[in-house]
Amino acid sequence: MDWLMLFAAGCCEMLGVAMLGKLQRDRTWQTFCLFLLGFGGSLLLLSQAMKTLPMGTAYAVWTGIGASGGAVLGMLLYGEGRELRRIICIVMILGAAVGLKLLG
Amino acid sequence: MKNNSAWFKIAGAACLEVVWVIGLKHASVPWEWLITGLALLVSFYTIIAASRKLPVGTVYSVFVGLGTAGTVLADMLWFGEPFRLIKLVLILVLLAGVIGLKLVTGNFHSKEVS
Repeated sequence: MDWLMLFAAGCCEMLGVAMLGKLQRDRTWQTFCLFLLGFGGSLLLLSQAMKTLPMGTAYAVWTGIGASGGAVLGMLLYGEGRELRRIICIVMILGAAVGLKLLG
Repeated sequence: MKNNSAWFKIAGAACLEVVWVIGLKHASVPWEWLITGLALLVSFYTIIAASRKLPVGTVYSVFVGLGTAGTVLADMLWFGEPFRLIKLVLILVLLAGVIGLKLVTGNFHSKEVS
């Protein structure tokens, strides 16, 4: 159950990032509500999952799913650059962030 | 380089992220919670502003990455976390990724339709 919540938290974060992109084209209150719902739900589910899972593991998985998923969504939905160099840089940033959270 | 201001915004948002992460962990009295809440609001407002100029995948990964690096540094500097070489190495890898991404994004042709 805790892992399911953690996975859902990552998905909510992806929703938040997708809405962050969408906010730039349609500044409607629906998009803004979904943006708040995405990040709010994500933090809420993460804190629930952390009640049973170790904090470092939970943080690392959450960051990994949410931020990399957000980057992939940006490429799929908004035609953001798919160059290898860009992908390598994003992987370096997120890999290091996940590593730091696992160590923390 | 008109995108520079957007990169500064992400860096600022990441600094505020460090503030609210510390706040969520350590805040106990009302004014501390007030600062935490304000930092949370302003940091998200700032990344909304930054993603007007830069791809959202870039904005969010740099925001998360710099925020993590800053939090780890703050923990080591002020909250008595032990210094570990591996952490510093990971922070350097992370910064190299951010700099690389900034260089690559210089050639980014936005497909935004406004």
